Amino acid sequence: MAVTTPPRRKPSLYDGERRLALLMLSPAALLLLCFLLIPFFMAFGLSLTNQRLISPNPTEIIGLGNYRELLDVRFFPLAPRLDPDTNAPLRDAEGNLVYPAVREILRADPETRFFRELAQIDLFGTRYLIAASDATFWRALANTFMFALIVVPLQTAFALMLAMLVNQKLRGMNFFRTVYFSPVVTTMAIVSVLWFFMYNPDFGLINSLLGVVGLGPFRWLEDPRSALFSIIILSIWQGVGFQMVIFLAGLQEIPQELYEAAQIDGAGRWRQFTNVTLPSLRNTTIFVVISTTILAFKLFVQVDVMTFGTGGPFDSTATTILHLVNQGYRQQRVGYASAISVIFVLIVLVISVLQRRVLTNREV
Amino acid sequence: MNRKFWVALSALALIFGAFGTGIVAAQSPTVVTVWFHSGQGAERDALTAILDRYNASQSVYRAEATQLPEGSYNDQVNAAAVANALPCLLDFDGPNVYNYAWAGYLIPLDDYLAQVPDLAADIIPSIIQQGTYQDKLWSIGTFDSGLAIWGNKKMLEAANVRIPTSIEDAWTLDEFNAALEALRAVVPADGYPLDLKMNYGAGEWFTYGFSPILQSFGGDLIDRTDFQSADGTINGEAAVAAMTWFQGLFKNGLTSATPEDDNVFKDGKAALSFVGHWVYPEYSAALGEDLVLLPMPKFGEKAATGMGSWNWGITSTCAAKDGAWDLLKFLLAADNVKAFADASGAVPALTSVLEADARYAEGGALNIYFQQLVGGVAVPRPQTPAYPVITRAFAQAVDEIAKGGDVQTALDKAADTIDRDIANNNGYAPRN
Repeated sequence: MAVTTPPRRKPSLYDGERRLALLMLSPAALLLLCFLLIPFFMAFGLSLTNQRLISPNPTEIIGLGNYRELLDVRFFPLAPRLDPDTNAPLRDAEGNLVYPAVREILRADPETRFFRELAQIDLFGTRYLIAASDATFWRALANTFMFALIVVPLQTAFALMLAMLVNQKLRGMNFFRTVYFSPVVTTMAIVSVLWFFMYNPDFGLINSLLGVVGLGPFRWLEDPRSALFSIIILSIWQGVGFQMVIFLAGLQEIPQELYEAAQIDGAGRWRQFTNVTLPSLRNTTIFVVISTTILAFKLFVQVDVMTFGTGGPFDSTATTILHLVNQGYRQQRVGYASAISVIFVLIVLVISVLQRRVLTNREV
Repeated sequence: MNRKFWVALSALALIFGAFGTGIVAAQSPTVVTVWFHSGQGAERDALTAILDRYNASQSVYRAEATQLPEGSYNDQVNAAAVANALPCLLDFDGPNVYNYAWAGYLIPLDDYLAQVPDLAADIIPSIIQQGTYQDKLWSIGTFDSGLAIWGNKKMLEAANVRIPTSIEDAWTLDEFNAALEALRAVVPADGYPLDLKMNYGAGEWFTYGFSPILQSFGGDLIDRTDFQSADGTINGEAAVAAMTWFQGLFKNGLTSATPEDDNVFKDGKAALSFVGHWVYPEYSAALGEDLVLLPMPKFGEKAATGMGSWNWGITSTCAAKDGAWDLLKFLLAADNVKAFADASGAVPALTSVLEADARYAEGGALNIYFQQLVGGVAVPRPQTPAYPVITRAFAQAVDEIAKGGDVQTALDKAADTIDRDIANNNGYAPRN
């Protein structure tokens, strides 16, 4: 998602230069218009309809129906089941209160007929059921944020570490640079297939290696607790080389005199890193963080390949884009998928703007 | 734009226009575009050879074929339909035909087939059954599928397990359970009794392969009286019992949700392999005389198995519909049906070819498939435009159940997904 911010000070251009500027801007502006703005407005228009991918039925305008189906979340206070004889609350073998089956409650009202449970929480002594019209969407959103929250800092830190490693002036360093960069040029689909085999709980390379030191076996992709984590590891492995190269370029831009001056002032390696390297890499870091964030939010290919498009087990690896593709293509609900995409664009837009604010406002 | 530009453009248009008329004047054959899924190697080669023969055999039409990967085939067909870029003739996995026909991008084949009564009479009933929706025939397959259990005879004998030879004496559920337990002792330490081809992943295989277990237990994917609701059927008592038994296979180590690769049975690490006809060439090459085909067990009252396979349809946007039919007729010629069946182990779609094939005759290696297809064991997948959603919902439930999820919850979710989709499509009311 490209975000254009207006320049802070209006540059004074002569007439001719202004025309030249507009001319040079026009190809990019035209592309943005055709492939970003127009599709976005088309998606917004479609999101107000029940447009299907293929259907003999005419498309109807349904207003905010798609958004309601997508975003509707309701809270139900749950009353514990009572013993029909004594009217005292029933308790299970462990002494916990017994609550009625969620599906029965939801199906009692035609409006919440297709809702699914998101969670149950205890508040002030009452049990509440949180149910969503599209539970998968909320899980997908939570997974996507979780993925970004873990991947962005980790991948940025790893990338910087690798960049500093391969920035050493040693023989054969180009070899290591190539090795660390090679996953980036490998297609994600292929990387995903390879890691799928490596994650096999019984025969995979990873469990075999861990088995040597007495760990495991882990059910990486089969266990809902570790499935997203498994996707995170492979994503960082695949993506880190790209950020490494950007950091490497940033590192090589730093004038050597700064380090010499710091050494004369008595700075050790750590002080040199925190007081010379990091501040000099400020703009590089901003770029890396923002681009990694946007890439993280677009998480799709790995999950689609490794879970056969299910986002499973139990929505534990569902992501916003996967849900969008599943709804729009595989369930042919173009109108509904458009609503997802509009919400998604708004979320990413807000995050990008916030990030820019936070990262660029501090003057060095 | 200046004048020079327009002059140059006009000149270009003239040149290409001239070439264009030249091509038309040369009376080249009418192109019939064909899409097919790139399946197993032997199937693919056989089909390519048949298409080459077609092009060499006549000069009125020329088949131009494109192979597309199987995994996302349905997505690609839908995308092409939206973009008005469908080919003339395409193949698709059987039960998608109802959705395609409902959406209106196939033409009925009844009139064409009526022109060749000999062919119409020769096509086996299950093929016609599968291609029919709203009383019209929308697609024809050149082969049908067979689903049963492949057995390793040596291991079965070592474990003292009875080997049934007809659909009448198929194993009962208790016998099947006992056989699996007995086979534990004869498979190697890194193996297991039953291979379920879980490595195919959550896709059409899960529905094709495992919905017969539901049906044999007395459940189904959807209530077939009006195809309006799955609730109470896919998540009903019988279906839950079926999938609970299914989950037990994984919990008890009788099978694996994460097989090492596709070769578990061939490598002698599994005694039974629950999979369709398409593995026959490789399995018979690997096991030879030790390969036996066992009928589907009777989990409940009666056995059930899958049927239907990839079949061909002609698109409504095709400019050369007669050419597409001509090619389809060629694909259905006895020699070609035989060539394809020989390569893949599939059940040939013509009675004449089927009866002449020793493999399907009594005592033949694939006779069980024949018995299941004509003996009422085979059940078509639900004949409704909602099928694409049904199969995805069920496959996801199978995936969750195999990974240890709660059976009732997984099937409830599938029921809700299906019913919601049907409601969203106004019950998939037929066109007009």
